[in-house]
Amino acid sequence: MLKDEMTPLERGAALARGEKVDRLPCNPNVANGVARIYGCKISEFNTSAKAIANAQIAAYRRFGYDGVRIFTDLFPWAEAMGATVSFPDDNTANLAEPAIKEISQIYQLEPADPYKDGRLPIHIDAMKYLIDELGDEVGCAGGIVGPFTNAFFLFGIETFIKLLFKNPEAVHRACEVSLETCIRYAQAIIDQGLTPTISEPMSSCTVVSPKHFREFAAPYLKRLVAYINAHGKPVTMHICGKTDKIWEDIVDMGIAGFSVDNVVDLKHCKEQIGDRVKILGHVDPSAIIYAGPPSEIRRAVAECVQQAWDSPKGYVIMSGCSLPVETPLAHIDAMMNAAREIGYPVVPEKLERMIAETPAPPSQPEIITPSEKCSCPH
Amino acid sequence: MESQESLLKELSNHVVDMDEEMAVETAQRYIDGHFDAYEGIDKGLAAGMERAGQLYEEEEYYIPELLMCSDAMYAGMDILTPHLKADASKDKHKVVMGVVEGDTHDIGKNLVKIMLETAGFEVVDLGRDVPPEDFVAKALEIGAEIIGLSTLMTTTMENMERVVQILAEKGQTQIQVMVGGGPISSGFARKIGAHYSRNASRAVEMAKSLVGEVVPC
Repeated sequence: MLKDEMTPLERGAALARGEKVDRLPCNPNVANGVARIYGCKISEFNTSAKAIANAQIAAYRRFGYDGVRIFTDLFPWAEAMGATVSFPDDNTANLAEPAIKEISQIYQLEPADPYKDGRLPIHIDAMKYLIDELGDEVGCAGGIVGPFTNAFFLFGIETFIKLLFKNPEAVHRACEVSLETCIRYAQAIIDQGLTPTISEPMSSCTVVSPKHFREFAAPYLKRLVAYINAHGKPVTMHICGKTDKIWEDIVDMGIAGFSVDNVVDLKHCKEQIGDRVKILGHVDPSAIIYAGPPSEIRRAVAECVQQAWDSPKGYVIMSGCSLPVETPLAHIDAMMNAAREIGYPVVPEKLERMIAETPAPPSQPEIITPSEKCSCPH
Repeated sequence: MESQESLLKELSNHVVDMDEEMAVETAQRYIDGHFDAYEGIDKGLAAGMERAGQLYEEEEYYIPELLMCSDAMYAGMDILTPHLKADASKDKHKVVMGVVEGDTHDIGKNLVKIMLETAGFEVVDLGRDVPPEDFVAKALEIGAEIIGLSTLMTTTMENMERVVQILAEKGQTQIQVMVGGGPISSGFARKIGAHYSRNASRAVEMAKSLVGEVVPC
């Protein structure tokens, strides 16, 4: 296995100064799979700050990737505001019941207190342990969902979707109270010395239209970003799925980095917004990193780097979304090793060679046409 | 008196326009005119849902719009269905579907279900957070030709693979598995031995081709 010569913080600082580094930053986004490395059950993250932090630390030590984050699932904020969450023994938490059952209850919604409500205090304690242990070598982040996404979980997803058409006022009210929860939690992250990152999956064009995004999601997201920036922190945002139609809106919010899903065109993303934000992405977490084999992971990393390494505001090799829990560790090693093999400065001919060494598998047609399905002789 | 053709057109438009109230009102006028209920569903409401699916494909409509359209379609169907003649239902191809264990996001699954029903499939919906064994057991019980698996979370993908494995272990490889959802790609589907469609309207075309509804060459 190839070795790193710098810590992630040294690497990041040198890149920012335009100095020589050993390789591009790389973050496989291991998520709750860290439990497999540390050797605990995922449900331990619901009650133990130590388990959350120690699992993050163990995975960082194992792989040497460029970023650790306290973020276990999408629901701690909705839960802290009254939603019910189910906790599988050894898998990621799920939304069981929304916070409110009827529209009339909307005025009973209160923003959460990050030091008191639900699992939020556990996450804040985990942040303290994490930054104590790793704060001088790797960037430590606290994850948060955006106000719009959180509002879905307050009402339940289908109910909320109908309100977009039938009761815009209720949607705004839910986003407003969600925003206050997000701001309080962001402040708590900053107070522990970590940097907030925002995940806003429901804003994706795979879910809602750009029109709904601009009307209901963007105003609150923008205020959250502005709050974090005003308190001295840059912010990276991840939105799953398609986002090209809202890139300009996102960039205008003042984020420092944008993490893109593997369904977007990475090169196009770099060309359109790379002059204003750092781009992070976007190796396919399921078809490539989970499924492997390592040779294909190596090729996919080289392809992503080929598309985005020269992005003006910087580029980080990352998965398109969180990795599946059971992703083989050797596959995560393969991703890190590909980043090390590519090295720095990036040499385009070397990328071409790496890509050529592993031919891409034939792509499966999405629709079986009659002629392909038919077994009669032609 | 209004012609059947103009009422069918109206029914279709109300679905596309997400207008639940008007879908109900027009469905009632359609029944009052003694027109065939099955055609009202098939050439009116379902035709509207297909147009909505097309708008989704073209990125004019998104998931919320499709859900509103389906609400209008079902509201109209509630009026028309009691008037269906008993022999209007032929033998339908059966599909078992649900959200795989570990995930409770069911918007995608519900959309695929709506579109499959619109296209004439009989769909048994096992709901959310469904263990892999249950998909196979239900499919064998009702003689389904297809199992449809949905997820929005990368954390649940092993369970998709598990369904394919169980079918293989039981020697039931004639049952086709379709997978879809945010983290799923055609590459992943290929690796686990399943079929992938990237959205609800593609899923219908896939399902039709899997049961041989497409005209052979």
